[in-house]
Amino acid sequence: MLEVKGLHAGYAGSEVLHGIDLRVGEGEGVIVLGPNGHGKTTLLRTITGLLAARTGEVLFDGEDITRWRADLIAAAGVIHIPQGDLLFPEMTVRENLLMGAYHGPTWAERKVRLNRVYELFPWLERRAGQLARTLSGGERRMLALSRGLMARARILLIDEPSLGLAPLATQQIYNSIRAIKEGGMALLLADENANHVAGLADRVYLLETGMLVREGPAGELLRDTALLESYLG
Amino acid sequence: MHNTQLVQAVWGGILFGSVYGLMALGLTLVWGAMRLLNLAHGAIFIVGAYTAYWVVSTLHLPILAALPVGVLIAATFAGLMHVLLIRPVIGKPGFDNATLVATIGLSISVSAAVLIIFNPEYKVVPPVVGGSHNMVGVQITNQGLLVVATSLALFALVYLFLNYSRQGMAIRAVSQQRDAASLMSIPVVRTYGLVIAISGALAGLAGVLLSPFFFLNPSSGFNPMIQALIVTIFGGLGSVRGALVAGFVLGIFESFVEVYLGVAWALPGVFLLIILMLIVRPNGLFGIGEVRRL
Amino acid sequence: MTVPAAVGPAPARPEADIGAAPWRRASLGTVGGVLLLGLVLPWLLVRLEIGNFLVVLLILFFMQAVVAQSWNLIMGYGGIYSFAQVALFAVGGWTTGVLAHSLGWNPFVSILFAPVLATAAALLIGLPTLRLRGTYVVLLTLAFHELTRVFAITGPRFISGGGYGLTIVPGFPLGNVGIDQRLIYLYYIAMVIFGVATFVIWRVIHSPLGVAVTALRDSETYAVSRGIDQFRVRLVLFAISAFFTGLAGGYMTHYSTGISTSVFDLSRLIDLLAMIVIGGWGTFMGPIIGAGIVIGLDQALVGIGDFRALAEGLIVALIAVFAPQGLWPTLRRIYERYLGPEPEPAVQAEAADPTVGGE
Repeated sequence: MLEVKGLHAGYAGSEVLHGIDLRVGEGEGVIVLGPNGHGKTTLLRTITGLLAARTGEVLFDGEDITRWRADLIAAAGVIHIPQGDLLFPEMTVRENLLMGAYHGPTWAERKVRLNRVYELFPWLERRAGQLARTLSGGERRMLALSRGLMARARILLIDEPSLGLAPLATQQIYNSIRAIKEGGMALLLADENANHVAGLADRVYLLETGMLVREGPAGELLRDTALLESYLG
Repeated sequence: MHNTQLVQAVWGGILFGSVYGLMALGLTLVWGAMRLLNLAHGAIFIVGAYTAYWVVSTLHLPILAALPVGVLIAATFAGLMHVLLIRPVIGKPGFDNATLVATIGLSISVSAAVLIIFNPEYKVVPPVVGGSHNMVGVQITNQGLLVVATSLALFALVYLFLNYSRQGMAIRAVSQQRDAASLMSIPVVRTYGLVIAISGALAGLAGVLLSPFFFLNPSSGFNPMIQALIVTIFGGLGSVRGALVAGFVLGIFESFVEVYLGVAWALPGVFLLIILMLIVRPNGLFGIGEVRRL
Repeated sequence: MTVPAAVGPAPARPEADIGAAPWRRASLGTVGGVLLLGLVLPWLLVRLEIGNFLVVLLILFFMQAVVAQSWNLIMGYGGIYSFAQVALFAVGGWTTGVLAHSLGWNPFVSILFAPVLATAAALLIGLPTLRLRGTYVVLLTLAFHELTRVFAITGPRFISGGGYGLTIVPGFPLGNVGIDQRLIYLYYIAMVIFGVATFVIWRVIHSPLGVAVTALRDSETYAVSRGIDQFRVRLVLFAISAFFTGLAGGYMTHYSTGISTSVFDLSRLIDLLAMIVIGGWGTFMGPIIGAGIVIGLDQALVGIGDFRALAEGLIVALIAVFAPQGLWPTLRRIYERYLGPEPEPAVQAEAADPTVGGE
């Protein structure tokens, strides 16, 4: 459903992505593994419109969304859970979640989705009135993820879900993501290490200095620990 | 008379306070949402005021009709300003420079335009509601009461809008974390336009309601603009609550200074107060933005 | 007049060094030629019918250019969004006016106090203000403008003159000479002021201070990390800017034998802003070129009256948004790109073009 062809992108004066080709199919879980600074975040930001691509194409369900504005891309169902959460600090948990469903049709519909998210993560409901900036690291990550679920997502792009989290929180986050994947959601996950992605991934890409150097079925690539070690350190 | 002075000072404070709050509200909303210092705010204010005059003197309609007309024209003007002068530079590095100069240029243009269309003579605009009450020798006009009531009502409305409506929450979201807002499919630039239009409507409304209180002339917008700026900064850039509280604090302070020390001391007094605030607490009363200290 | 061999910048020297000696950028011939022209011009012009009028325009140009340069120094280079310029001009003018009129001082003496007081006023506002971010500077300088304006109108009689300003200020005592001669002397005084101001501002811009300012403007965090004290730098610039602005105000007061409260009119502000914005924001020649253009246009379009402020405001707004470097630099770039000859290497937009005198 998501196809990227020959994508080049970067920031003023330098190019970070040098021709990326990848694809994510319906319900597929695709992982992009790469060390920090090699372009994972740039890739996700370019796909979802926060950064303009220099050349190349991004297709969603066959439609060319390369030059689309970020909010329109999100409205189409391509939901980006950004690195660093980017929560709305002065808004409550509940408000953050509701904003996730900005594009939803009515308040009733929004309430329905909110309740569904509360069922998945009951602690969110307990903290509904709390300001987002007062949450702990793990809680913020969960909130960011849940906020993404509030939209009518067709595919989730998640940037380094375990960044800065303690081991327990890390476990919880990946469990949640796994549950979402099992519900049929397509995933494009950018991550720095392969430790927790086992149950999530159908296919894996290896990203090195802005280029995809390997691609393969998850079972194969993830088991080759020697390769991963030499590659990811 | 001791009592008269006190009542005068208090009523003046409440009246000024409502006005300042109203003017500051628009400014602070725009700054909060997009970090834009709108120096054309005063210009929009007199657009509202002169529209009211025009409605009454040229269209010969009752002043009540001037309210929606003034608000509409002011909001439209603000929207045009957004499209022509602000939108083209959003996201560019020279945004601060460009918008500062552009809004001041526009402000002076409006002043000149108004001078040409109407003439430099002072204009008198009739109040929406006439009559007054006398309390211990102090004239409390009905229009003044209307201004206070409207101001408080608008603050309440804006508060409800920002907290309970989709668009209002989107405005808050955009002001807090712009990229994330985009990712939630909130159209950021259009939201900016909405905020500017709302701010314009507020300024226009203030213009219509306040015009009976002073002699309207082409440079009438400058002073309210400065006052609004002072209140906004005093209350904290971007804070709605701040605009309300600061409006009343400064209004009452200025009123007391005027009554007990004389009109000449009003502006210097407020000036001193704001300098004090900037030294002690540069963020203002409720400010959330960072203020760099060198 | 001989033209020295090297016209362009010597390649091995660092930027600040070359700029510190402006005569190395422009050929000695050009500067000498302009100077000579400037000295001789008034004598030539007073012989013409409209000559006197042209000299008056030149005087006006000199003074406006000084104020415009001063404002550009802090806004364009320093990134300080101050709107106190007009008020500082007024402080200078009023200072010398009051000293000369109420205390009977010789204008040549009282005018010396104009820049001093203006600088003092600037430091007074600058101390609390310049530590803070842009928005606050805008507010406080606007408030200062308003305060000064109100004080000038409603203050004690010897200042406010009943609300109109000072109307009976003695002019410069230049001896009992004819109108033409007097005009020529006034012209020279103005030219000297302009020359000194321009020179000092040039030196400042190309001095380590100026380099520090540009560094701060372009990348504050880096500059601060290199130990540049932003506050001190800004304060110095602000003071220099106020000094010359006050001096110009003082000159104009004695030149016009009075100073009216109309100096605070917003139309004056937009004039100055237009000069900077049209000529080139943050460039050295910008405000000078801008002053010339605005004054020239104003004369050419003298019939439009009130429409002038309207047009200026809109033009300034549009230029700020669509040609932020300034109208003149943008037009020049368009010309060079599409119509002009191959550009010479290492020639900056600010360098005096050796083929066009006194640009």
